[in-house]
Amino acid sequence: MASSPRTGRSSAATTAVVVGVFVLATVAVLALLSGGDLVGLSQRIVTSLYPPVAVTSQGAQIRDLYTIVFLIGVAIFFLVEGLIVWSVIRYRRQPGDDTLPVQTHGNNVAELIWTVIPTLIVAFLFVVSWQTLNAVEAVSAQPDVKIRAVAGQFQWQFEYLPADWEPPAAGETPKAPLYTQNLPAGEGGGMAVPVGRSVKLYLTSPDVIHAFYVPQFLFKRDVVPGRTNVFEFNVNEKDAGQTFRGQCAELCGSGHRIMLFEVNALTPADFDAWLAARIADASATPPPAPSGEPGPSGEPGPSGGPAGPPVAVSALNIAFEQTALNVSAGAPFQIAFDNKDNGVPHNVQIKDSAGTSVFQGEIFSGPAQKTYDVPALAAGAYTFVCTVHASMTGTLTVN
Amino acid sequence: MATTALHPAAPTYRSTLYDWVTTTDHKKIGIMYVINSFLFFFIGGVLALGVRVELAQPGLQFVTDQTYNELFTMHATFMIFLFVIPMLAGFGNYIVPLQIGAPDMAFPRINALSFWMLPLAGILLLLSFVTGGSAAAGWTSYSPLAQDRPLAAVGTGQDLWIVALVLIGTSSILGAVNFLVTMFKMRAPGMTLFRMPIMTWTVLVTSVLVLMATPVITSALIMLFIDRNYGGSFFDPANGGDAILYQNIFWFYSHPAVYVMILPAMGMISEILPVFSRKPLFGYKAFVFATAGIGALGFSVWAHHMFTTGAVYLPFFSLMTFLIAVPTGVKMFNWIFTLWRGQLMLKTPLLFALGFLSMFLIGGINGAFSASVPVDFAIHDTYWVVAHIHYVLFGGSVFGIMGGLYYWFPKMTGRLLDEGLGKVQFVLMFIGFNLTFFPMHELGLAGMPRRIADYSSTAGWNDLNLAATVGGFTIAASMLPLLWNIFVSLRSGKPAGDDPWEGNTLEWATSSPPPPYNFDRLPEIRSERPVFDQRHRGDAALGGH
Repeated sequence: MASSPRTGRSSAATTAVVVGVFVLATVAVLALLSGGDLVGLSQRIVTSLYPPVAVTSQGAQIRDLYTIVFLIGVAIFFLVEGLIVWSVIRYRRQPGDDTLPVQTHGNNVAELIWTVIPTLIVAFLFVVSWQTLNAVEAVSAQPDVKIRAVAGQFQWQFEYLPADWEPPAAGETPKAPLYTQNLPAGEGGGMAVPVGRSVKLYLTSPDVIHAFYVPQFLFKRDVVPGRTNVFEFNVNEKDAGQTFRGQCAELCGSGHRIMLFEVNALTPADFDAWLAARIADASATPPPAPSGEPGPSGEPGPSGGPAGPPVAVSALNIAFEQTALNVSAGAPFQIAFDNKDNGVPHNVQIKDSAGTSVFQGEIFSGPAQKTYDVPALAAGAYTFVCTVHASMTGTLTVN
Repeated sequence: MATTALHPAAPTYRSTLYDWVTTTDHKKIGIMYVINSFLFFFIGGVLALGVRVELAQPGLQFVTDQTYNELFTMHATFMIFLFVIPMLAGFGNYIVPLQIGAPDMAFPRINALSFWMLPLAGILLLLSFVTGGSAAAGWTSYSPLAQDRPLAAVGTGQDLWIVALVLIGTSSILGAVNFLVTMFKMRAPGMTLFRMPIMTWTVLVTSVLVLMATPVITSALIMLFIDRNYGGSFFDPANGGDAILYQNIFWFYSHPAVYVMILPAMGMISEILPVFSRKPLFGYKAFVFATAGIGALGFSVWAHHMFTTGAVYLPFFSLMTFLIAVPTGVKMFNWIFTLWRGQLMLKTPLLFALGFLSMFLIGGINGAFSASVPVDFAIHDTYWVVAHIHYVLFGGSVFGIMGGLYYWFPKMTGRLLDEGLGKVQFVLMFIGFNLTFFPMHELGLAGMPRRIADYSSTAGWNDLNLAATVGGFTIAASMLPLLWNIFVSLRSGKPAGDDPWEGNTLEWATSSPPPPYNFDRLPEIRSERPVFDQRHRGDAALGGH
């Protein structure tokens, strides 16, 4: 059983022929399948292994970095798979050959080489990634536009903020936005942004974790309840007039897949005009929010008798529009609940001071109204909440 | 050395059953681990087919959103916690005492306890389907989604999930202690640490990982349970908790868990490649150090699952994640240069090991994309990540497990599996695997998020999804030749003999299957290949080591 490394194995030349024939055959099959358009086919393959063309300057830098990682990855793939295929063809055992190959236990030089070279490659990748990271993560103190995205199950709401807006500190009420866009995707909803200007996006969630993801930005950022995440982007000027698809990318419950939005890229002039018109609309038409409602009247209300007028409660932008209600003790009463949030489920639930639920209204999606029949309550302080959105609360005084 | 146990009378069905249920023999327990894991592999596979059927075409055709969330949540839960981890623990249970020349595990009854917790946990998880719906917040069960709230994790399914995972974790911890004590105290004379087979080494490193990481996730699960049921405020921002804290604790276990799921599979192919190349493993010590290095680095990369949370110090975790590619690359070259100038016997175990090499390579390369933080911003939580984990855990672990099954089945049963059926299975599985998971790279890059039950028909994802579904059924079809192969081989397979592959390690020095106490006598152990040494004793041309 003397070892003889050459006999009985395919020679290097045979192996090269086998590999060569295999490669040629593959190319020929691909050429046939693509109707002779090999260049077009290879372009399609490479394109499918690339993220979309970026529409933001930050995304373009990420795409450039992707190119570096991709090229190194492809080179390593072909080198190592090539070694595997070569070894299998070259060193497969021939029938009847019982010789034992040379028993090589290792080679320190080789092992040093394939430790050091990969270390250098990953060190390089780390450095270029870090550089791109710093550029992508940069945020300016005074961006051109500030927008807050509120992601709640299962809808996106975009608030256009005044220039001096800052995320509120704990317990502080945030400054009111200039305009709030609260329509579902496909019904004129979504986020409008000016091209060529820096847009700083604040991300908040009232319920569970979501993620803001626009594939053509090559970017996503989680929307985490309890913290405000921030990032900044500049849409390329040449992409004005385009609409980009966006979607929640973090599992957020049974409606995760419908949590879609759109980003509309407008020229700065169009954007300014659009925003001005929206702000004017919102302040000119009285009905939308507080004034037209009988909201305040719920407070002093004559809600004494069992057949008194229903207490009005409304919900908009994942918040109750009333924060304090008064009813009489010992008598059943009604709540007329107006859910104005398109596609967002709400209800009214009443809890006593110990946090025990004493009444829970049916959950339904807006825009819609329902009247709840609430049983008589003992005198005391209660809170009313939306079962779906823990951040929606108000106080109910029974006396 | 083939001996046949002489039974005074043919054992009855009941006595055999009683024997298996009460056994403390590591080999029987190991086989029960393997069978139990295969059962949950098939359950998890059926759930995956449910996912693929729903996604084959745009439109919600077969399931509701909530059911869909249950499908992928329980698919991952079964595959990770009741298939890959216990399957590898089962092979370890069977193989490790044999490989180090021990008569059994150090604590045989604790060993039985470790096993029996698994079917119990599996039953709890299955029960959740009939108690108002299983867990549906993903296998990660992030808070606040996994809190008890409307539109989130409703019902008892999530609680059952927590309890089942705590049970499985406890089983893992007991198993890890058992492995470590066995390896440190029960090695045969001459079996020094650096003569231990690589499979045993990988189980050693895995056991250290389990011992250090599993108590951490157990704590997270218990806190989540308290949050859900007793109004704790650990992880729910609505009650003053921190949603990110859960992710940190969860991944502190669950990233090392990825190595728990791949290292022993690496150990398996590190047994197969030398035997079927008829050469020693190239760079044995480098391989051991690389395994230990992966284990150590594995504790410093958990937050790469959280790059997009905005709550991570990104450069550190990026660097550590890149660095873990180095010991992994060392292993890849060690394997390839084990093949180099060898005498490759292209039998089914080697085919699956080669499948591991070529597919795990892709899983390693596409993992480096996620280590590059800005690139991760683009691909995180898309189908790219689904492709990545399946190239690691299916292309790596499952191919390794199949190779290990073909390799050790003769030792476990005394019968060889059929080569022809094995090759049919390999080809089907290899094609099906790539058809299912390669298109997911492209889907992810094109912007398809994970965990969505439906997608727009105009998004351009239709063809790739259909291809993945066809591939999924091809994988399912590849299980038929395997099952048939096991069935016919158990009934009438070729007798294996003690050492059908000309193995290197001690399990091939005893009969197939081995007697209850494992060895009548042991060969001299002077290297990491005692059975090879015995076979070639006095073969001058081979020289020393």
